[in-house]
Amino acid sequence: MDDERLVAGLHCGEVVADLTEHLDGRLSRERTLRIDEHLQGCSTCRRLGDEIAAIVRLLRELPDEPLAPAIEARLVEDLRAEEPLPHG
Amino acid sequence: MVDADDARISDETLIGRVAAGDSAAFERLVKRHQAAVFRFARAAAPTGSEPEEILRETFLAARRVAARYRHEPSARPWLLTLARQAIDRRHPLREADSTPLHQLARAAAEPENASGEGASVATALASLPAEDRGILTLCDRELFTTDEAARVTGLDNAAVRTRLHRARLRLLATAKENGRGR
Repeated sequence: MDDERLVAGLHCGEVVADLTEHLDGRLSRERTLRIDEHLQGCSTCRRLGDEIAAIVRLLRELPDEPLAPAIEARLVEDLRAEEPLPHG
Repeated sequence: MVDADDARISDETLIGRVAAGDSAAFERLVKRHQAAVFRFARAAAPTGSEPEEILRETFLAARRVAARYRHEPSARPWLLTLARQAIDRRHPLREADSTPLHQLARAAAEPENASGEGASVATALASLPAEDRGILTLCDRELFTTDEAARVTGLDNAAVRTRLHRARLRLLATAKENGRGR
C-alpha cells in the first residue's frame, strides 16, 4: 500500500496508524470524521480497516476453554500442599 | 468446591476472606479465574511447563498478598498483574518491537486468496510473538481497557495502544499468510 497517497487531506500512512484507535472509538470526534472521510475515498485503507475489524471480532468470539482437568487437579494439589498453617 | 450461588459473591468479598485465611474462599477464587490466568500465561510465556508454573505462582502470590488487594469490581486485572510479574521474573528482558509500522501494514494489507477465507484466527494467534499474544489476550480476549492492560503489562497507556495496533496488524498478516499456504 502507498503510505504517501493523500485522500481527504490525510495520507494513508497516517490513517493506517490510527485504525485501531478508530475501531476502538478512542479518537476525538474531529479526528474520527477526518478518518471516515479518508476511508470513504480510499478503498485500500477501507479494506484494511474492515479486515482488522473482522479479525478482532473473530478473536473476541473465540470460545473460552476451561482449564484442562489434569492441570486443574495438579493446581489444586499444589496450592493445598503450600497452604499456610491456620492462624493460632 | 463451588456453590450454585458462587457468582453472587464478589471477588472483593472472596479476597477479603482469603486474607483472613479462608481456604474455601481461596479455592472459589482459583476456580473462578484459573482458566483466564492460564490463558494469559500460555499466551505470554509459552515455553514448556512455564504456563502451569506461572498459574500456580500467581495464585500463591494472590493468597500471600490478598490483604493488600485494593477495591475494584473484578480481581482479574490484579491476578493477571501477578501473573505478569511471575513471567517477568523468568524473562526480565523484553525485546523491543522494531518492525516499522508501514511494513506491518503492508503485510496486513496483502490480498487474501479464496482459500484464505476462514483461516483459523486461533492458529494465527498461536504463532505470533509472545508480546503480541499477551496484548491481544488482554485487550481482545479479556476485553480489558487499555488502562487495565497497562497496569498488567507495566507499560504506559500509549505504549499499550501502539502495541495492540501492531499486534492486530501482525495477526491479520499471519492469518492471511496461513490461508495462502493452504
